[in-house]
Amino acid sequence: MKRSIMKKLLTLSIIAAAFIALPMGAGAMHIMEGYIPVGYSIAWGVVSIPFLVVGTNRLKKIFADNRRSVMLLAMAGAFIFVISSLKIPSVTGSCSHMTGTGLAAMLFGVGTTSILAIIVLIFQASLLAHGGYTTLGANTFSMGIAGPLLTWLLFKAGKKMKINRMANAFIASSLGGLFTYCVTAFQLALAHPSEIGGVAASFNQFIFVFAPTQIPLAIVEGLLTVLILMGMESYASRELAEISFMEA
Amino acid sequence: MFNVITALLIVMFTGLSLYGRVSILLLACVSVGMAVFLTYFNSHSHNEELSIDIMAQTSRLRDFHPVLKFWTLIALLFICVASKSVYTGIFLSIMMMTLSKFAGGLKLHNYIGVLIVPIRFLLIGGLALLLETSPEPMGIVNCNIFGIWLCVTPISQIKTALVISRAFGAVSCLCLLSTSTPMPDIIAVLRKAHCPEFIIDLMYLIYRYIFILTSLHHEMHNAAKSRLGFKDYRTSLRSTAMIYASLLGRSFQFAGKNFDAMESRCYDTGISFLQRDHQISPIQVFVCAVIMIVSAGLHFLPL
Repeated sequence: MKRSIMKKLLTLSIIAAAFIALPMGAGAMHIMEGYIPVGYSIAWGVVSIPFLVVGTNRLKKIFADNRRSVMLLAMAGAFIFVISSLKIPSVTGSCSHMTGTGLAAMLFGVGTTSILAIIVLIFQASLLAHGGYTTLGANTFSMGIAGPLLTWLLFKAGKKMKINRMANAFIASSLGGLFTYCVTAFQLALAHPSEIGGVAASFNQFIFVFAPTQIPLAIVEGLLTVLILMGMESYASRELAEISFMEA
Repeated sequence: MFNVITALLIVMFTGLSLYGRVSILLLACVSVGMAVFLTYFNSHSHNEELSIDIMAQTSRLRDFHPVLKFWTLIALLFICVASKSVYTGIFLSIMMMTLSKFAGGLKLHNYIGVLIVPIRFLLIGGLALLLETSPEPMGIVNCNIFGIWLCVTPISQIKTALVISRAFGAVSCLCLLSTSTPMPDIIAVLRKAHCPEFIIDLMYLIYRYIFILTSLHHEMHNAAKSRLGFKDYRTSLRSTAMIYASLLGRSFQFAGKNFDAMESRCYDTGISFLQRDHQISPIQVFVCAVIMIVSAGLHFLPL
């Protein structure tokens, strides 16, 4: 009898976890240190290398053409770090942070963003204990390459299709944020396939547990990106024009 | 609120992980004990974004040779993640906490405060690993939600214990590294590892600019707050965006002025800083070797 009551209590606790506790994510969805096996850590690092090489070459060219841009990019890196560590207003009451890489992709292009992202991820691991060194490759791929790449592609496609610029920025950054979250869930599912149902079932589970935080966060990030761009246009238009040469 | 929810998560996770393996009374004691311990020591606050940097600057382990410390901890990270035994993670967690507290002089509540964010992720991710979805009830704990059964099986309990212990050991290594090694020392280690020079320069500059932007943000945030800029959700969102836009604009203006100042002081390329001299002592090598050998040895212990 006692055992059945305990079982019911535990069952109730699972439901409570889903509805009360799970929106407590730590914002931008970093995979924590040690969470994926060594083989996957190395594999995601290897997958990221070609993008990082492209980014390195692009940065070298930018620095050779315009030495002043070193300072601009350093400030952009510091800006991404600062906004990714600050709490933003969140609808679920969770502790949310922007990723900032979608905005960076629209302003600087994908190659440059990937290098800034890996530097920011090292800083986040060292100064905030978010993410980690063994998961650096996986996090760089999801947050510094996959998400920004989709954002940049959508932003460029929207420009060509002459969609309203702010609506375009909102769609691109929100979907980029959602894509980052899906790629991270996929990386976790691949590393930890479910006992019943394999990678697909595990993917659904990770998508489900992180959805209460990540979906509203993607929408808020899109809104904030639009408002930041509008704000910059009104009182930092000269700086916006200055960075336009960096577009990939 | 965060503390209460973290405590709830700990109770639920511990309860489900150990259910069926220990007596109900012990299970309740362990769950509540862990929740109380972590909640009591948790001092994490998002107004202290860069508190780890202060801990690193003041740590007694700061003088431990950074190259030896960095590469030993990176090697330990990989040993821990590759381990097939839960004991490696447990050993490293206890070892890193002991070293931080007694050798580094770090307060225990600061250490737990640093760990609390990774712990939340581990608990949420751990629940996803622990719960299997199935068309039929087939675990030791089963719960039907909209026609789908969420089950906790003995295999999922073992798998989760292994993943969580590995991750906790690895996060503890990261925590020791972060709270005892200032960022400039880490950048210097990367320079010695032949990381491209312009990336090293970029890292030095970003590290310095982070403090400028953080202090600028605090000023802007206070100015907006004193003008009721965060009175409701809509206004908060608008104020946050305006602060970020202004921060980005101001940061670009700073960057321009900074470049002019550096160029007027003969900046060509390459930024050099004075580095502290560190000596490797035999005791440092001995400590690193012992921890690595024990961690690697624990790999062969059965689960």
